[in-house]
Amino acid sequence: MLRYILVRLLLAIPVLLAVFTLVFLVVRIIPGDPAQAALGDYASKEAVEALRERMGLNEPIYVQYFRYLGDLVRGDLGDSLITGNSISEQVAYVLPYTLELTFASVLFGTVLGIPLGMLTAVKRNSFLDYAGRVLSLAGLSIPAFYFAILLIFVFSVRLGVLPSVGGGDLTEDPLRSLKYLILPALTLGLIMTTSITRLTRSAMLNVLSEDYVRTARAKGLAEGVVMFKHALRSALLPIVSVTGLWIASLIGDSVLTEYVFSRPGLGKMLVGAIQQRDYTALQSVMVIYAAFVVVVNLITDLTYGLLDPRVSR
Amino acid sequence: MLSRKTLGLLFSLGLVLTLLLAGCGATAEPQTIIQTVVVEKEGETIVETVEVVVTQEVEVPVEKEVVVTATPEPVTEPKILRVGQNAADMSSLDPHFATTTEGRALVDMIFNGLLRYAPGNGAFEAMEPDLAADYPTMEMVDGTQVWTFTLREGVMCHPAGAMPAYELTSEDVVYSLEKAANTERSAYAGEYTGMAFEAVDDYTVKITLDVPLSPVLFYPKVANYSGGFIVCKQAVEALGDDKFKTNPVGTGPFMFAKYSPQEKIELVANPDYFRGAPKLDGIEYRYMADVASREAGLLAGELDVINGIPDVQWVDKMATEEGIDVDVFGVGEVATVHFNMTVPPLDNPEVRKALAYAMDRDEFLALFGEPVAENVYSPVPAKFLAGGLTQEEVEGLGLAYDVDRDLAKQMLADAGYADGFALEVVTSEMTGYRRIYENMQAQLAEVGVDLTVNVVDHSTMHAQIREDVNPIVVYIAWRPNADVYLTRFYHSDSIVVTGAKPDTNFSHYDQIDDLIESARAATDAEEQIQLWKDAQIKLLEDMVTYPLHFQQQVYGRRSGVDYGHDLVSVLALYPGVDEMTDMTE
Repeated sequence: MLRYILVRLLLAIPVLLAVFTLVFLVVRIIPGDPAQAALGDYASKEAVEALRERMGLNEPIYVQYFRYLGDLVRGDLGDSLITGNSISEQVAYVLPYTLELTFASVLFGTVLGIPLGMLTAVKRNSFLDYAGRVLSLAGLSIPAFYFAILLIFVFSVRLGVLPSVGGGDLTEDPLRSLKYLILPALTLGLIMTTSITRLTRSAMLNVLSEDYVRTARAKGLAEGVVMFKHALRSALLPIVSVTGLWIASLIGDSVLTEYVFSRPGLGKMLVGAIQQRDYTALQSVMVIYAAFVVVVNLITDLTYGLLDPRVSR
Repeated sequence: MLSRKTLGLLFSLGLVLTLLLAGCGATAEPQTIIQTVVVEKEGETIVETVEVVVTQEVEVPVEKEVVVTATPEPVTEPKILRVGQNAADMSSLDPHFATTTEGRALVDMIFNGLLRYAPGNGAFEAMEPDLAADYPTMEMVDGTQVWTFTLREGVMCHPAGAMPAYELTSEDVVYSLEKAANTERSAYAGEYTGMAFEAVDDYTVKITLDVPLSPVLFYPKVANYSGGFIVCKQAVEALGDDKFKTNPVGTGPFMFAKYSPQEKIELVANPDYFRGAPKLDGIEYRYMADVASREAGLLAGELDVINGIPDVQWVDKMATEEGIDVDVFGVGEVATVHFNMTVPPLDNPEVRKALAYAMDRDEFLALFGEPVAENVYSPVPAKFLAGGLTQEEVEGLGLAYDVDRDLAKQMLADAGYADGFALEVVTSEMTGYRRIYENMQAQLAEVGVDLTVNVVDHSTMHAQIREDVNPIVVYIAWRPNADVYLTRFYHSDSIVVTGAKPDTNFSHYDQIDDLIESARAATDAEEQIQLWKDAQIKLLEDMVTYPLHFQQQVYGRRSGVDYGHDLVSVLALYPGVDEMTDMTE
């Protein structure tokens, strides 16, 4: 197992390098000048050129590449081209918000989605099943940002029970900041719920028709034992795989949610970096995203191995 | 002879009377007084000594211990103005690099200039002294122009970290202006070419200009705008230029307190502000790029002021909300169409005029609606700046180019384009630009001109039009005076790519350089204004540029917010928050 983990981590290095190189090249192909973006259209040409010089943008591209790669290896994500602030400090500030949102959404999605999926599988072709399937289809069809705005207008504007702006202060008042997490987590979590519900239903239906489930019932085992100990364990395999993919994609999906709720996060940082042509911030955030996906995939594979001993053998 | 009985009765009455009077008077301690009463009996006089209790007013010094306590004031929440601004994150709080709307608004609250535009009124005529105690004096010395400022005394720079507050002197002012004039330390360095700055004494600053300027052109350079903001030397030197961008230190009514990345900036009131302590305790300035979020925040009571969108439908919708007011005010960013004269067939003035006749200003105006937008008839908006041409003036000269599509088709046919022609342009995805280009596409289609519009992101559009990609450029901008408008958009030095100082002369026009330069050198206001007008008349005669309208600023607020001034126009493109701004529940 340890060897497996080490190999996977070693393989992550070329993946991250490839991501970094691709992003480095792509951002420099996109039209737009970071210096011009930073100074605005009012600035004179001389001021723009002077800033380009200070940003190091006039250096040969390979010099920029290796300088930044060297910093990255040393753990230095560089400074923002626009503000001059340390990217590491910015990431350290916003990353907890993104992780908080991602895991709250996953928790919500799985805690709600798996039982719902099981229920609709057990009550197949009943009103509950039909209702669940229609709702999950609706959930998959509604864009996340639209759903977010709907939640804001209901819970913040009309009912006034939950805040719609900001992320709270994780360091000074973590409990109070949970209030700021509810609506964003609900936004992403409900959409994830719909997907998990459908997948769980489908997986459970497959498993429930298996011989060993029939045997378990014939042995007189309680229905709860049959469902949770025998059926669900087998059905969990594809659910775990999809959940792992969802976690990785949620990092990206969080962009729009963070935007609508004006909540700090990696997604918002990424959008801002693109708009401002902040090459350093953009490269750093993409590398972090890639690293996160690698780690999540690794955890997913390990979990899979725990659930299905055949895989780890 | 009164009997003993009568005397006794009289005595008793007198005693009762005395008691009554004492009861109405000051409270006094009863005292026992021994009186000698002479009682006369029939036949004999008897002197008796009688003890009588008499209550008399007696002054008795009383020492009281009085403990005086202050009347406890009711505990109130700090007054924090919560602003939702259309921005993803901070750009720069160094005023000499603050070029975005969000940056300009913040530095306006933190810094001062030698002069300032009156709160809520960005007109030149309303300018008044700020850090300077009075307007400057001007004298000509050996062909150079010398402006002398006397500073207010006792203006304090904000404390910052280990650096305590200290008094701003001419040393800070000179340092700041030299920084503003430095290409490597300022985005506005070009405004200060040919200027020298001198600290004569602690409170006197001299600015010497190689080329004399009228007050209309000089005052904005030292006002609370762009490079005119005065930074505190000690703070900049202690922090360094890069750190100063995120840790500003000025003299304004509010001081920088905290920056939460991508979320907000917090300012606190400056209790030592020279105009008086602010009524607000602080400001929470939030970065909220999504208008729906800002709107929801205002309606939910989580925000007090928000940046709206320049759309009359939005204005009307928000104005119907209870407890919400909407302010529409200047300055107006002028939308102008520039024809690239180097691209056929736009190199033919008759073709350009035909396109002008094909376009209807009112159709463009309807995209945004009045009062959010208003038509303009010259590149310099007459409503806000001296030197602009009014509608009456332009119509009187026959240069309004009122829409006439039949005439446009005829003119195109006469020019050899009876079947029209095709052009391709890029536009920003931003609503203000995209709507105009798409509407232009529809209008020009009616005269046979096929305009292909490609949508790109805002930064890309700005980059590409500066690379001379577009044959027709729509540009929306505010500039502080007519000289800047004309120089940067129509002087030959400013021609994109090939100009001596490439800027935003998208039309490649070079026929009014002398008028622009003469106007700049004129010190007589009327002569200067007329030269600016003459330059714009030439532009319209050659149909180099077609002015559309200006788009004003739109902000929503809770009804309890009082900015402390009327809102006419603000150069910082926000309502203006200062020491007089207040809010009620």
